[in-house]
Amino acid sequence: MLNKSLIEDVLAAALTTGGDFSEVFVEDRFNNSMILQGGRLEKSVSGRDFGVGIRVFKGLQSVYAYTNDFSRDGLLKAAKTAAQAIQGTNAQETVVLPLEKEIVHNLHPTELMPNSVEKTRKLQVLRKANEIITNYDPAIAQAIIRLVDEEQNVLIANSEGKFVEDKRVHSRLALQAVASNGSDMQTGFYGPGALQGFEFIENLDLNHYAKEAARIAVTMLNADFAPSGKFPVVIDNEFGGVIFHEACGHGLEAAAVAKNNSVFANKVGQKVASDLVTYIDDGTIQNEWGSINIDDEGEKARKNVLIENGILKGYMIDKFNGRRMGEESTGSGRRESYRFAPTSRMTNTYIAPGKSSPEEIIANTEHGIYAKYMGGGSVNPATGDYNFAINEAYLVKNGKIDKPLRGATLIGNGAKTIQLIDMVGNNLGHGAGMCGASSGSIPVNVGQPMIRVSEITVGGREA
Amino acid sequence: MELVKFRDQLFIEGEKLGFSDIELYYEKSSNFSCQIFKGEIDGYESSTVGGVSVRGLYNGKMGYAYTEKLDEDSIKFLLENAKENAQLIEDDPEELFAGNAKYEEVNFFSPALTEVSAEDKIAFLKDVEKKVLAYDPRVDQVDFAVIQDESSEKALFNNKGLALSDQNNFLFVAVSALVKEGEEIKNGMCIKLTKDFTSLNADEIAKTAVEEALSYLGGKTYPNKKYPVILKNTAVASLLAVFAPSFSAEAVQKGQSLLKGKLGETIASDKVTLLDDPFLPEGIKSSTFDSEGVPTKKLTVVENGKLNSYFYNLKTAKKDGVESTGHGYKSSYKGTVGVTPSNFYIEPAESSYEQLYSSLEEGIIITELAGLHSGANQISGDFSLMAYGYYVKEGKIEGATNLMTIAGNFFEVLRDVEEVGSDLKFSPMGGYGYIGSPSLKIKSIAVTVD
Repeated sequence: MLNKSLIEDVLAAALTTGGDFSEVFVEDRFNNSMILQGGRLEKSVSGRDFGVGIRVFKGLQSVYAYTNDFSRDGLLKAAKTAAQAIQGTNAQETVVLPLEKEIVHNLHPTELMPNSVEKTRKLQVLRKANEIITNYDPAIAQAIIRLVDEEQNVLIANSEGKFVEDKRVHSRLALQAVASNGSDMQTGFYGPGALQGFEFIENLDLNHYAKEAARIAVTMLNADFAPSGKFPVVIDNEFGGVIFHEACGHGLEAAAVAKNNSVFANKVGQKVASDLVTYIDDGTIQNEWGSINIDDEGEKARKNVLIENGILKGYMIDKFNGRRMGEESTGSGRRESYRFAPTSRMTNTYIAPGKSSPEEIIANTEHGIYAKYMGGGSVNPATGDYNFAINEAYLVKNGKIDKPLRGATLIGNGAKTIQLIDMVGNNLGHGAGMCGASSGSIPVNVGQPMIRVSEITVGGREA
Repeated sequence: MELVKFRDQLFIEGEKLGFSDIELYYEKSSNFSCQIFKGEIDGYESSTVGGVSVRGLYNGKMGYAYTEKLDEDSIKFLLENAKENAQLIEDDPEELFAGNAKYEEVNFFSPALTEVSAEDKIAFLKDVEKKVLAYDPRVDQVDFAVIQDESSEKALFNNKGLALSDQNNFLFVAVSALVKEGEEIKNGMCIKLTKDFTSLNADEIAKTAVEEALSYLGGKTYPNKKYPVILKNTAVASLLAVFAPSFSAEAVQKGQSLLKGKLGETIASDKVTLLDDPFLPEGIKSSTFDSEGVPTKKLTVVENGKLNSYFYNLKTAKKDGVESTGHGYKSSYKGTVGVTPSNFYIEPAESSYEQLYSSLEEGIIITELAGLHSGANQISGDFSLMAYGYYVKEGKIEGATNLMTIAGNFFEVLRDVEEVGSDLKFSPMGGYGYIGSPSLKIKSIAVTVD
């Protein structure tokens, strides 16, 4: 994308004021997005992102400059702007080591590059999904089907001699069903995605995913408002894992830990969760939505065990926060694009499966809430307070799933909630999502088997 | 490649390829941001980025494509992709604006702001951090402290003779203070957005952040029930940001707004007037033209509870047989033209925030809402959201509550507004327009306290 000698010059220019590490991130990305709404293709946009990010460290100072002026002058200017922000002097000048190209082993094979597939072929999938949703029930008012795919080419080089290139191909189908009874509208959503080409989209079991989206919308249309109060809550697998993504995952990122802004800081080796909890971040799972070959600092993807049987084992660490902590990177430095300096982020994060069957968990719950599909949520990283919505909830009565409930939100504190997990199922599943934080919005998987938390506050409308 | 040269070549090649109408939209922005942690520069960013997008009418259908790489190859990339996209589109046709319209002459760019040196901005932020740490012994640390400024320019050209350009800039400071008492940790934030660096006061920013954090300490639990509620200004703004799409003609025409068929009807308490002002001096969405090139104008969307108008772009206006209200915005050159507000707010009235709650025998003040992207159903108006705030007894704030959720329906809240405050404030976080409100007194909302 850029030639080696130019990159070497840029890395050197960034170190002229005493920096001790410099890095160049080049990105060339092709994006496509198509939206079929009400049976018509309403939007189809294609585009190309292209830019360069330059980062300089000096001790615990970090400076980032980015531009899409890719001329030699433009890049050197950006490097010098970054260098000028570095304060103080370094006794010893850091030199750029000769760049040596590293070969990336591709863990995530892809057959059909998104830009090589005719858009009419993509449209066929959208139409089929639309048909399944609209035919599901007379209450379905509309289907909104969105296909997003991208091919991101990156080049990462740094003053330690790293020079590596990678290609990331993402495809995702977002299925939204809108059900209406005239006065009220409810939506259902399912959004499978993968680090893979168009074959992922074409091979998707639409009958399952599209029908589920439709079924959720129709079910919620006939649901009563959720009660408020404290209940045992059963959270099903796949996207249910979003609770621990928010409640624990973010607190295990070095960005929070390095500055002691996390309840999990300085607790390695200590018990932080119920014995039933083993929590893992694994970027190597083949073709999964949150997977990577290398992170955005050029470090190889790996499987990091964060919590094992309730004991805190480690964190997700990027290079810069690793400096503050005195720890090595764990292959967790990620960013949305060249417009963001990388920081520690999740990939595919999940609770490892336990021994209980889902039937057993429900049968053991006398009076509680069953969250079949979770919606999104957020966490205050400083305090660990989280909130998230349940897209499809039910009342559990006498060990049986009872009536559906709408408008249920769960609130609580992450560090407390993971201590209250009292059953873990054996049906591990992963769900795709987008995670937003200081280095932008990135694809991640959340995952878990069905679990039960002995008590969570449910905010509903009925007292 | 230079923009003018790029444009001329694009129009020539585009017409050759069969586009009847063709438009080039250009955006460029320069950003500076700096974060301070314990007196040191912890993060520093500087950037100049931009891109262009093409909209072209091919056989009566509009095709889109964009690029951040401005070279000769990109012209081919843009035109071929725009053509392929146009051939697939089945939507109602969009059109390009011919121009010849009269535009307001307002300047939203502050040259003085661009003169402020990085050193001065950094020194100011260090001062804020220092003052936060010194304000109270319970301050544990500064969660984050950031100063950022942005200058942006946009331009719009089409082969029907339209040529427009505009500039805007602003600076923003945000600080979050962490306070600790025993095992309890709370944070409080202060965000300031301005075009005038000299208007910023480090003492005031530190005070606001720390006082807010301290005010959340010692939270208590209260019975779960419906309470009269004071929704504080920024909490209303964040709620309005979620439900603002209901006012767009696009949502109405697609059957995704409960305001469909309600023009001229009362949809809110007669205390509520909703305005959209694209000329607000401090508005980050201020502009004299929208992304389609249509002149912007001030719009009264709701007047004393009555729905006066939706937001329109050219396409939705044509469908309803009205004029565009100048709300055909795209989020950036990467987006398509949608319908969004500019600077959209509830008109302030007389009562101060203190007056609003002093009349409550018992009630809850909601200062902040979280989980808005997930806990609210944009179409139905239903919400169940995490909330922070205080308990009020006999007109006085008794103290913080534990974490809460409030659940209700946005359209019911609008009807239940009993009093409107005077403390208009905008929420700088909203991507969907720039949204503001004064604090509101609401008849009742269901509250659950942890």
